Amino acid sequence: MDLKSMPIYSRMKSCGVQKQGESRRVVSGVLEDELYAMQCEISVDWPSRTIESVQARIKRFTTVRCVLAEPVFLKAEGWKIDSQVEGRIKKELGRNGCRHLAILMVDSIRSLVRAELVRNLTSELQSNPDLDAVNFVRTFFLENPELKTIMKLNPDNL
Amino acid sequence: MIVDFQMNSLTTVTESGPGTWSVELTAGDNLLGVSINLEIKAPTLDIRKSLITVKRDVMGVIPEMSSLAEKLVGVRVGPGMTKIVRELVGGPKGSDWISDLVLEAMEMLVNAITVQELEKAAIKGGEQIRASGDGPKIFLNDVVIGPEMIKVLGANPRLKDSCAAFQNID
Repeated sequence: MDLKSMPIYSRMKSCGVQKQGESRRVVSGVLEDELYAMQCEISVDWPSRTIESVQARIKRFTTVRCVLAEPVFLKAEGWKIDSQVEGRIKKELGRNGCRHLAILMVDSIRSLVRAELVRNLTSELQSNPDLDAVNFVRTFFLENPELKTIMKLNPDNL
Repeated sequence: MIVDFQMNSLTTVTESGPGTWSVELTAGDNLLGVSINLEIKAPTLDIRKSLITVKRDVMGVIPEMSSLAEKLVGVRVGPGMTKIVRELVGGPKGSDWISDLVLEAMEMLVNAITVQELEKAAIKGGEQIRASGDGPKIFLNDVVIGPEMIKVLGANPRLKDSCAAFQNID
C-alpha cells in the first residue's frame, strides 16, 4: 500500500464550446473539488463579442453567505469580450462574488475565444490545404488584437 | 449542439512526506497541453522542485520551459507570488498561459491546507442550509460555516472583503 500517493485535494475543471448558428457561441464550464462544485453557462453574440446571458450556479460551497455570489455574475451580461474582460471578471465578479467561480468564468471565456481561432483555422485548411498556418494565426491576431490578452497564446513567439 | 472545443484540467495535491507536498497539474485543450509538477515544503512553503512538460503545442507558441521551470525553485506560496511567477514564467520570453497554471497549482496547495481549518469551523459554527443553487432533490451541502464563524474568519485581513461571503459582515 502506498498511502502517500492518495490525494489530499483534487480539482477538476472542464469547459465545452459550441457554435449555435452564425451569431451565437455558447460555453459551459464545470468545477469540482473537495470544497466547491460550480458551473456556469455563457452565451455570447458573435462577432460583436457581447455577453448575452450568464447562468451561474454554486452547488457545493463553504459558508452560508456563498450563495450571495450567484446574482453578482449576472452583471457580466452586456460586457464585451476584450482585453479588459479577464480583469473585470476577477475584480468585479470575483471580489464581490466568488473567486473560484470567477476563475471558471475566465477559463470558459478563454476557451470560447480559442475555439474561434481553431474553428477559423480548421475551416481555412479544409478549403486550402497549403495554407500558411503561421501567417493565418498572425493575421487573426492583427485583426483581433483585443483577444490577445484573454487567449494567453503569446503570438509573438510564432 | 455538438461541442467543437474542449478544455480539461486536473490538479491533485498529495502529501509526499512530512511537511512536503507534491502538486501535479495537467491541463489541455485543442491547441495546448501541459503537465506541471511542483514539490513544496513547509514551513516556508517554498518550491523545492519544479517541472513543466509541454505535451501539445499545435501552433508552436510556447518556448522551451525547462530552464524557466528551474527558476521557480525558491519561490514561496504566499503574498506576492502572482507577480513573481508571472515575471519568471510568463511574459514575452515565457508563456502567460503556463504562468497562470503554475499559480493555480500553488493555490491548490493553499486550498488543500485550508480544508481541515474549514472543517473545524463548520463543526464549531456550522449551520444547515438548503440553497437555490443546490438541490432541488439531492443537496450537496448539509452543514456549512454559519454567520458567527464567518465573522471570526473574516477578521483575517486576507479574507476580509475577498468575496461575497466576507463583505459587509460587521
